[in-house]
Formats: sequence, C-alpha cells, structure tokens
Amino acid sequence: MSQAPTETLQQRYKTSIRKLTIWTMAWLISLALVAFGPAFIWDYQTTVSVVAIVVNLLVGVQMIIANKRHLDGMDELQRKLHMNAMAISLGVSMVSGAVYGLLEPVRLLEQTPSPSNILFVMGISYLVSLVIGSRKYQ
Amino acid sequence: MKNRLKVLRAERNWTQMDLARALDVSRQTVNAIETGKFDPSLPLAFKAARVFGLAIEQIFDDEQG
Repeated sequence: MSQAPTETLQQRYKTSIRKLTIWTMAWLISLALVAFGPAFIWDYQTTVSVVAIVVNLLVGVQMIIANKRHLDGMDELQRKLHMNAMAISLGVSMVSGAVYGLLEPVRLLEQTPSPSNILFVMGISYLVSLVIGSRKYQ
Repeated sequence: MKNRLKVLRAERNWTQMDLARALDVSRQTVNAIETGKFDPSLPLAFKAARVFGLAIEQIFDDEQG
C-alpha cells in the first residue's frame, strides 16, 4: 500500500500545474523557433536548425514528464476522468486523422493535409470529453 | 455500491471539503462517492475506514446477496 503523501492534493495540484504550464510554454516557444527561426533569424543555417529541433524535442520530453507527474498527483476520480478523455481524444484523432490524410489522394481536398489540424482535433476532443466526464460525476 | 459516508460525515459535522482533506481527494470525488456515482479503490476505502475508525464493511455495502 502506498504511503500517505506529505503534500495535500491542492498543493500537489498547484505545483504540478505550474510546472506543466512552464514546460508547455517553453515547448511552444521552442516550436515557434523551429517554425520561424530559419526564415527570420538564422537564414536557414542547417546547424542552428538542428540545434533548435533537438532543443524542441528535449523540452517536449520534459513537458511529457510534467504531464505524467501532474496525472500521478491527481486523486483517483480526476485521474479516471483524464484517462477517459485521453482515450476518447486518441481514438477521435486516429479515426479523423486517418480519413483526413486520404482526402487529398482521393481528390476531395486540394491542399496537403496539415498535421496541426489533427492536434487541434485532439485538443478539442480532449477538452469536450473532460467537461462531459466532469459533469457526469457532479 | 452503497455507502454510509454522508451519514458518518453528518454525525461528525464535517463538510465534504473536510472529508476530502482527510482522504486527500477532491470535494468532487467525495460527492461522487456519497451519491454512488463513483466506487472508491480499495486503498481509498481503507483510508475512509481509518478516518472514521470503522471497518470497511461498516461503511461500504456491495449489495451482493
């Protein structure tokens, strides 16, 4: 059986949310650097672009770890709600992403599908699932 | 699963928030357990039993037989 935590749920939640916010912001900034840096800052120098990508990946790993720790710090109902939302979000993204990728080859879409649209679907489906799940247990 | 959390809490004049703090869970979780919408894990049920100084079966009833 696990030992009693020294911090309260609220304290753990506050700390893990703060860390997750910091790493998410850092990841977004590093992603923006990878996207816009080559054109506007370092004139497509390969070495700098590779360094920017490596930094983005490392920060991304830290964001994933922060998210996992945030999940670990939740109580069992909160964790269940988030796990359900993740499952639905993953399924919706997989199903919609698979068919979205086929829209151009079958000539139903003129432009090349953008991966960022899948991320948008993933985020929205996660939030909607979380809100619906939370209401169910109120 | 039925439980007596609400009654036991009322006997001690505790709010849902008081019990949530004692169990290290959110108030929403206490409410969901009290209303039977969510069944707690075995460790959380043991914790509730310790908090109230009772045996698990004096708090939770699985309604089987």
